[in-house]
Amino acid sequence: MRDETFRPSRRGLLAGAAALAATPVLARAGRAGADADASAGQSHVADAPVADRAHATDMVSPFGAHQAGITTPRPANGALAAFHVIAETPADLERLFRRLTERIVFLTHGGPVAEEDPKLPPPDSGILGPEVPPDALTITVGLGASLFENRPWLAPLRPRALSQMARFPNDALDAEITHGDLSIQFCAHTQETVVHALRDVVKTIPDQLVLKWVQMGSVPVIVTPKGAPPESARNLLGFRDGSANPDSADQGLMEKVVWVGPANDEPDWAAGGSYQAARIIRNTVERWDRTPLGEQERIFGRTKMTGAPLDRPGGTEAMVPDFAADPDGALTAHDSHIRLANPRTAESQANLILRRPFNYVNGVLRNGQLDQGLLFICWQADLEKGFVAVQRRLDGEPLEEYIKPVGGGYFFAPPGFQDGGDYLGRPLIEAISPASQDSSQSG
Amino acid sequence: MRLCKRLFTLTAAAGAFALSQGTARAADATLDLVAPIADYKIFVSEEVDALVSDTTTFVEAIKSGDVEQAKALFAPTRMHYEAVEPIAELFSDLDVSIDSRADDYEQAEADPAFPGFHRVEYGLWEKNSTEGLGPVADKLLADVTELQGRIESLTFPPEVVVGGAGVLMEEVAATKISGEEDRYSHTDLWDIRGNVDGSQKIVELVEPLVNDPAFLEQVNGNFATVDTILAKYEEGDGYVTYDHLTESDRVTLSAAVNTLAEDLSTLRGKLGLD
Repeated sequence: MRDETFRPSRRGLLAGAAALAATPVLARAGRAGADADASAGQSHVADAPVADRAHATDMVSPFGAHQAGITTPRPANGALAAFHVIAETPADLERLFRRLTERIVFLTHGGPVAEEDPKLPPPDSGILGPEVPPDALTITVGLGASLFENRPWLAPLRPRALSQMARFPNDALDAEITHGDLSIQFCAHTQETVVHALRDVVKTIPDQLVLKWVQMGSVPVIVTPKGAPPESARNLLGFRDGSANPDSADQGLMEKVVWVGPANDEPDWAAGGSYQAARIIRNTVERWDRTPLGEQERIFGRTKMTGAPLDRPGGTEAMVPDFAADPDGALTAHDSHIRLANPRTAESQANLILRRPFNYVNGVLRNGQLDQGLLFICWQADLEKGFVAVQRRLDGEPLEEYIKPVGGGYFFAPPGFQDGGDYLGRPLIEAISPASQDSSQSG
Repeated sequence: MRLCKRLFTLTAAAGAFALSQGTARAADATLDLVAPIADYKIFVSEEVDALVSDTTTFVEAIKSGDVEQAKALFAPTRMHYEAVEPIAELFSDLDVSIDSRADDYEQAEADPAFPGFHRVEYGLWEKNSTEGLGPVADKLLADVTELQGRIESLTFPPEVVVGGAGVLMEEVAATKISGEEDRYSHTDLWDIRGNVDGSQKIVELVEPLVNDPAFLEQVNGNFATVDTILAKYEEGDGYVTYDHLTESDRVTLSAAVNTLAEDLSTLRGKLGLD
């Protein structure tokens, strides 16, 4: 076993406090400068959350150059909600962004719920009790292509690669759970915190946000001895998902892979933002569970239990497969999921994406089969070079027999905002040309 | 949605409020409400009288086998019921009998217990026939007549009347926006008109007692938005079918209705009612 085959981009180089310092600030409330434990034992977005290391007092700051919830270590629960937006004028849109900012700041910091005369409906749903805990909540807002296209004053500012998600050959998209003017991703340690935040936004901004669809999801929490290496969480096909993710603690790498920068030929306002590709991918788990283990592993290109690549079956998921040494696909089939998704060539480096998915369980379908799958979410600085290119390579893969994308959409997360008067989406609002503001307001 | 039957009289209500916080103001508010509630009772009586009279004609059309006439009368008849739903729902036995939907029954449309307006709607539109609807229609007429009798002798609970403004918008948000209320006839816009008329009437009557101009401005602004959208779909004396509604108008309508439901949920409290 050669140690040098450990992926330098992912693990080992940055450890403990150094890794934490590079991720969005995550601290226990009232104890700034928290230790590595405050990140629930994780330093990479796709690592499985570790039991007993998540605390209701964990706080992820919503402030910064980028929105939180993208390179933030992924907590145990998440949801993606898509909305229709009511905003006729730039002033309306600014008002929406400011109201969202106000709710994001309160909900992520937590605090006592507002109280009112008992003759009035309580302003807070109360499901978290009198004191809302921060619970590592992140709220990440994305903008859909339709938000821009349906508003002449906003259309010129649409991010270059932002489009309505087009159907891929294996897709069976359901219009009721696809696309949206705006997406909000909620992530937190507990599902109740996610639900509380969603209900708060829905109740607080009913005149500008009309809920279109929501997909809840979760990540399996693992029990592991202290000091054990992190593990990528498993999906509902039983495989580790995210082993080959670029290192989210590597800021330089994130600048290239995730955050829009000068190299991306995007409108100025979009700098520091990121494209979100979201896919609700149904897994036909009954059929998968009837498939021989060897075939399952060939389809993925990894061993099921450890996640090690098939050319290093006794190794760990952290090891990098050496496809160049296996030109005939004798060890890792050419059409295996990992080899198609990331062929690890010089050219495919341009197609890196940061995956941050959640598993979902929605009950039962009419045929009596379980409605389970993956709320796939990935982030990238260039949607075309990122998700779209990767998915095109995956089109026709053997795994398609067991998965069916049924919903989701493309969104663009604007850059972050600072504390004290700033608001989410300000660069976009300020980029709207004054001429179009005048015309839309007088009309 | 069922509201609990707390049918205390206005005088008793005022007495009860005198014991609670905000004493003087609450008691005054309740006394101030005597006139609006008397006016509201007239509104409800007129709507229910119209409901009984229109249902009589509707039932005649069904029993004479005139499918087209029965279809034409369906939506305008039930609009009167929709306008007074918060009061009608005080009598949950009648509400179930008059206005329950197929979802409320285990065997859905095939369930022999499925009654009322929507059972008739199912026969007229899905079967394009009045066959077998005679007994259902007779029962419907008996039920609305019974409702008329009960409402005549009802003392209107002020919190139900004032709360009803929000409840009506909740009705629209929960079952009308999705187009599932009148799923066979697609006459949901008529129902929405009925619900909105009922809600607007309540707001109009208590408006002088609400000391919050910004609140009233927002509420009336959203009512105006709803009115504007509904006006786009008028046809003859009524409305086109719900499938004509554009996605954009449905979204705008949904936002206005949900905001009204939120805002009007505070109306009781604003008037000091518990």
